[in-house]
Amino acid sequence: MPVLTGTLFWGAYTKMKFKTRLVLIILIVLIMFLLHNSFWLWELDNRLPLLFGFMPFAFSFYIGYALLAVLAMRLIIALGWPEPPEEVINQISDQELTDQ
Amino acid sequence: MTNAFGIGILLFYVCILIAIGVYGGRVSKITREDYFMAGRGLGSIAVFMALFASNITAFTIIGHAGFAYEIGYGAYGYVIGWSIFITPFTYYLVGYRSWLLGKRYGYATQPQVFGGIFKSRLISLLFLVLLLYYTLPYLVVSIIGGSLAFTTVTEGLVPYWLAAVVIIGISLIYTIPAGLRGTVWTDIFQGTLFLVVAAFLLSAVARALGGFSEITGQIVESNPAMLQRSLSAELAPINWFSYSFVNSIAVIVFPQIYTRILAARSSSNLKQVSLYYPLALAAIFGISTLLGVWGSVAIPDLSGKDADNIVPLLIHQFLTPTWMVLGLVVVLAIVKSSIDSQLLAVAHLVTVDFLPRFKRITSQQAVFRGRILLVIFAAVAYYIALVRPGAILTIAGFAFSGFSVMLPVMIGALYWPRATMQGACAALVIPAIMLHLWYLDILPQWTTFGFMPVFPSFVLAVLTLIVVSYLTPSPPPEQREKTFGIFDRVFK
Repeated sequence: MPVLTGTLFWGAYTKMKFKTRLVLIILIVLIMFLLHNSFWLWELDNRLPLLFGFMPFAFSFYIGYALLAVLAMRLIIALGWPEPPEEVINQISDQELTDQ
Repeated sequence: MTNAFGIGILLFYVCILIAIGVYGGRVSKITREDYFMAGRGLGSIAVFMALFASNITAFTIIGHAGFAYEIGYGAYGYVIGWSIFITPFTYYLVGYRSWLLGKRYGYATQPQVFGGIFKSRLISLLFLVLLLYYTLPYLVVSIIGGSLAFTTVTEGLVPYWLAAVVIIGISLIYTIPAGLRGTVWTDIFQGTLFLVVAAFLLSAVARALGGFSEITGQIVESNPAMLQRSLSAELAPINWFSYSFVNSIAVIVFPQIYTRILAARSSSNLKQVSLYYPLALAAIFGISTLLGVWGSVAIPDLSGKDADNIVPLLIHQFLTPTWMVLGLVVVLAIVKSSIDSQLLAVAHLVTVDFLPRFKRITSQQAVFRGRILLVIFAAVAYYIALVRPGAILTIAGFAFSGFSVMLPVMIGALYWPRATMQGACAALVIPAIMLHLWYLDILPQWTTFGFMPVFPSFVLAVLTLIVVSYLTPSPPPEQREKTFGIFDRVFK
């Protein structure tokens, strides 16, 4: 599934330097950390209506957070998770491992 | 509590596990790579369920539901919120680079990967000792928690000692013959089972309590504090922040998780796992949270250990006996899928990273010794679970923190060519010592500046690695090339 694994957009991102892409990945992680620690939003716990009639904000926030995490992981995969060249991952045989 | 249908379900479940063990044993080759690493051929679903099922313990259904019973909906974000994103992210951050080195050099465990990066037997030994030191108490606690849950769900029909025998015994039946392949196949079965049954269980409990909206309306009326995180002392922002460093970042350091990542067939498999992991984690803990919070109005006034039993109590009080058996199957599935992976991980570590220090062994000998070690570790864990010595339980209490403070060294080794063996040694030992001093109350609490001890220990690990590495000679170019030459060719 190229869309979900991010490979569909790989071409566009590879034009950036890897360090730039790494900075973007760090930025995504920081945003996610900030969202998890968004204590100022706790004020909404008793103000917002129940989602679907049974999910208070303290709960539904993390349902949304999980969906956002999928999106964040997809971006990270597109930015910084290239497929390895075949020659890099030539596996050592079990016999060689035994001999080591 | 049982009827013929329920007993039939239980027997069917056990028979499937035994069949998987027998079949897995037949198709497995007697080689170290095949037995401990499933030939590094795990596909997306296998890796996903192996990581997910190994990561979910009795705490999810028992401890977490009890926590939600007492704290409210905020328990969800506190315990699992950060994990939803950061755990799959660490599968990328640490997992993918480790997997590359594993594929290239045949590494199968942390002692091999990080001992190999630093070209140091001391680093390898430190990883081995620390991982065993934290994993064994964690294994014992998993057995204790699972056995207590088993006893509770069967209303004491199965005593604690017998529950432990059943849990360990069934795990060994498929782990001994089939190794990692056996545990992964059962993880696929058990992981699917507990996700599906838990979803149906939630629906059945909701129906019995008058519906999702009705039960939530009762909570809003009778105990509105359950909805507000700011009213809970337990969820104070400093605790919330500190807890981000406890369970979420520890997962990738668990040897049973790390090895399963190295056993993935391809990079694409790991990508799929990282992508969908947040949804599975959010689902199972979401179900557990809702059951716990609903329990607070359906069966009020429980506290401590009684609150931990809220899920079995809900099933017992509001559902039919067949649901009790299904609940038992869920508990067994969750408990065993983590215990079998922990047992195999410790046997694997000792077989490939400790025994060869004294005598070279062949691949076949490694499998034979691994199987014997599985039985020995299972027997020792069983004995400790019966005796429940205080020291072991104390270590288990901060095992997650212990794993977490090893992460800076793992990240440094994989991302920072200037990191030295001396820096890594110091960053493994000093934070581990400090963690003990704080958790054993040898150092006064104020020295953590109000944070949980894991946070200052984590920061200390980062600083120690950087400072000591700069104070010691840079690693030789050929040593750096062995690791970072690979990464340079992949990450362009």
